[in-house]
Amino acid sequence: MPSLEASKKDLEALAGKKFRGREELEEALEFAKCELDSIEGDKLTIGVSDTNRPDLLSTEGIAREIRSRYSKDKGVPNYKLKSSGVSLIVDKNVLPIRPCIAAAIVKNIKFSEDFLIQMIQLQEKVCLTFGRKRKEAAMGMYDWSKLKAPMHYKAFKPRELKFIPLEYKVEMDLEEILMEHPKGKEYAHLLKGFEKYPIVIDDKGVVASMPPVINSQTTGKVDEKTKELLVEVTGYNQETVNTALNVAVSALAERGFDVYSVKIKYPDKSIITPDFSPKKIIVSIESIKKLLGLDLKEKEIAGLLGKARYAVKKTKKGFLCSYPPYRQDILHEVDVIEDIAISMGYNRIEPLPVELACVGSESKETKLSDAIRELCTGLCLQEVLTFTMTSREKQEKKLLLPESDFVQIANPVSWNFEVFRKNILPGLLEFLAKNKNCEYPQKIFEIGKCFELDSAKETRTSEPLKLCIVLSGRGAEFTSIKSALDAVCRSMGWEYSLRESLLPFLEKGKQGEIGIGNRKGFIGEINKKCLANFGLEMPATCLEIEV
Amino acid sequence: MDLKTIAAALSEIEKKALKALDSGKEFGFDEIAEKSSLQIDSVRRALAWLAEKKLADISEDRKKQAGLTEKGRKYFGKGMPEEIFLNALEKIGGTADFSELREKSGLSKEEFNFALGINKKKNFIVIMQGEKPRIQLTGVSKEAGEESGKELLEKAASGKIGREKFLELKARGILEETEKTERKARINEQGKKALELIGKTGERAYDIQGKVPEIFIGKKQPYAQFLQGIRRKLTELGFVEMESPSIVQEFYNFDVLFQPQNHPARQWTDTYQLKQPKSGGLPSKGIVAKVKAAHETGGGTGSRGWGYEWSGEIAKRLMPAAHGTAHSARQLVKGVNVPGKYFTIARCYRPDIVDASHLIEFNQMEGIIIDETMNFRKLLGMLKQFAVEFAGTKEVKFYPSYFPFTEPSCELKVKHPSLGWIELGGSGIFRPELTLPLGIKAPVLAWGLGIDRLAMVKLGIKDIRDLFSDDLDFLRKSRMVVD
Repeated sequence: MPSLEASKKDLEALAGKKFRGREELEEALEFAKCELDSIEGDKLTIGVSDTNRPDLLSTEGIAREIRSRYSKDKGVPNYKLKSSGVSLIVDKNVLPIRPCIAAAIVKNIKFSEDFLIQMIQLQEKVCLTFGRKRKEAAMGMYDWSKLKAPMHYKAFKPRELKFIPLEYKVEMDLEEILMEHPKGKEYAHLLKGFEKYPIVIDDKGVVASMPPVINSQTTGKVDEKTKELLVEVTGYNQETVNTALNVAVSALAERGFDVYSVKIKYPDKSIITPDFSPKKIIVSIESIKKLLGLDLKEKEIAGLLGKARYAVKKTKKGFLCSYPPYRQDILHEVDVIEDIAISMGYNRIEPLPVELACVGSESKETKLSDAIRELCTGLCLQEVLTFTMTSREKQEKKLLLPESDFVQIANPVSWNFEVFRKNILPGLLEFLAKNKNCEYPQKIFEIGKCFELDSAKETRTSEPLKLCIVLSGRGAEFTSIKSALDAVCRSMGWEYSLRESLLPFLEKGKQGEIGIGNRKGFIGEINKKCLANFGLEMPATCLEIEV
Repeated sequence: MDLKTIAAALSEIEKKALKALDSGKEFGFDEIAEKSSLQIDSVRRALAWLAEKKLADISEDRKKQAGLTEKGRKYFGKGMPEEIFLNALEKIGGTADFSELREKSGLSKEEFNFALGINKKKNFIVIMQGEKPRIQLTGVSKEAGEESGKELLEKAASGKIGREKFLELKARGILEETEKTERKARINEQGKKALELIGKTGERAYDIQGKVPEIFIGKKQPYAQFLQGIRRKLTELGFVEMESPSIVQEFYNFDVLFQPQNHPARQWTDTYQLKQPKSGGLPSKGIVAKVKAAHETGGGTGSRGWGYEWSGEIAKRLMPAAHGTAHSARQLVKGVNVPGKYFTIARCYRPDIVDASHLIEFNQMEGIIIDETMNFRKLLGMLKQFAVEFAGTKEVKFYPSYFPFTEPSCELKVKHPSLGWIELGGSGIFRPELTLPLGIKAPVLAWGLGIDRLAMVKLGIKDIRDLFSDDLDFLRKSRMVVD
């Protein structure tokens, strides 16, 4: 869940409402799908529970959702948009690299700390979540007074151009930035394999940024002297970059700043960004009533939608709902219906009990393993749970087994958890090693899934359920473990056979392969070498069988 | 029973205690312990039995006593606030403004104000008025013989404090009056006779109080037993348990659940991927084509779709299941009864740093309810029932939430008697883009509860790693989870 920092005063000023007490603030935040994580004086930490709503990633955006609940300002916000007359010319050489751009100019900026903090936070969070870590949307903001129209978006060779990257003092060429600058290194993979890199640059050759990597220190630094901003978003999909731009500039408009459009001149067409005209979706009244289970009147629905910032018109097919262009999460009428429920307040909707008679049952696997667990506890064995992810070291090396193939993780966090276990035994031996100071005899068992490569299965993996028993202490010998095997098999009605075997971790002559139908297993005394590998001194005997 | 039999059956500790009383005087329990070299617990036990057998008489003496409160114990350790106040002031140089001294002294507002008052009254300090009032040491020193706070509290702790001082400290919440019961015992005539008989009778028949060897019962692992209880409860509620393989295709973990293939949750860092086997099979072409269409254009589900080119190769990739909903998705593809209720408690895997609140391998409890009559109000009703069944509370709060596969989505919080409001789980109604391509027309309620969290609450475990405890002593001592 993205977490935001906000000032309570700033939120109240933007929302046009004072919140007395935590409860009132929490209830208001629910309308914006937010939760209050903490409040310390004026500082709020807010969790945005909808990761698909970039428009909620700023105080401005949250305040906009709250304001419509308490004031007459309902429906789609009416932001004014004037033309700046500025063009941004897209060179065709950038199209194969990062083809889409959208831009706007914001004037009449009244600088404040809150504005600056929120703008930086919004850029960061929007590009991280909605922008998929800058891949789909990377945003830049520049002091417009330092740039000269028209703007250009074109690609340059790595050594062809130099500029001072953000937070640096010296000029670097594009290659150097990707190799040395921390942001350059972090995002270099997004430009990997290209001979040229995209640049936003003004008409006199002053660089604004190298998207999606870094802004220029000279033009990309916003401070209290900044009166006008150029905002730009690049990516691979025009709709995506348009939405991100809309999220940013509509938040700026919430502070009363003026938004001006920019003409984007692609080689084959021109478009004007941002586009503030509302989007539309039809929602059937029947669907609303059915999905919510509420017999709402049409007027009520329209009121609730207005609070959720929809403008509503009734048509033959249902409500034609217009919604703000910064919303990109509405794919289906169900998305609008959820907003109606949120407008009502989830806790004001009366729950209905689910009266649906069905016959429940446990899976075969659960029934089988519960039966065997019952037997094992009857044998005075303590049940143990270990993890299914483990290491080759434990599964193979410590058991003196030759190397083999495992179901294996491609991106392990630790070498202790790199493969899925084939056998439970190593986990139980490791358990014993951690409990050498506990009273003996120690008699333990685990029943759980093991993993084998199996090309016949849909997942190329079979996951047999196995039982492993280990008895440790003086006098732990073959006879005692065979008695356990005998007892389990007899009680389960399984006929088993034993064949002499030569497993490297078991004592020669005191081990065997268990066969129960076509299920296999092993039984025997663990030899000194294997015990030593696990750091064990007490004798131990074991069995492991597929159940 | 005659006295002879009683004497013969006396246990070792009774005999020792009785012998310690043989002079006929009244002794305190501590004295008896000393004389008999028995533990105080054994003395208590022995005398209770002796009194019951009418061989000794016990008297109780109630005494009022001064004792330290919790606050008192705190001051006992670090000193009285008025002293801390003066020491801090001296350290700064004998003069300071209010906020400076408050900060330096580390006292709470209340303590600070109290210390200020008392020190002013004793003329240890004066307050210099001005734009910013300052506190200054006067140089007046303690009267000779006046105890320091520490000495005072030491006296108080051992009960040697004057009434006046006691009342003052009681008013400050440092001392309290406690009642202590002192018990004494004296041997009686019967007891004396019994004592004589002890020497004459033979060895005691059998000592039923003696220590016995400990049996380590074969027990289920506490967490496994807890899960078994949850399973039972769910089947009682009419849910059928689903299969939950640990290795699944991305198709079930993500694609069927309408999570686009460029979704951030599908990235390398958020889920595990497999090196081998890499890629698995997909279900029938019909279903795959419909899922593809739903992602790309909505595919006639009434949706816009995500607007990108869906790849079957990505969907085929294998991974350890990252959430239990993968199994609900798989069940819906394999076929369900309508109406139907399904659940699973599934092992899930996510790359993370293992610590007291994170495991890379954990369990999730998930389920679905499919029926024509289901709607949002029923979803809330279902959550309310779960709160009662699994958390034992009727106090619930619902919060808007987001999952790529449900709309509307709802998070459930419940009021736990001791922990306050805790998150119990997430839920929602599966999106049409999920259900329609699988041929399911009825609404599907989907829920997932934080089962590991619940287990920790129930088993009294603070560190999540203890669910898979590798401590044999802990497992041997674990109590049964009843209910």
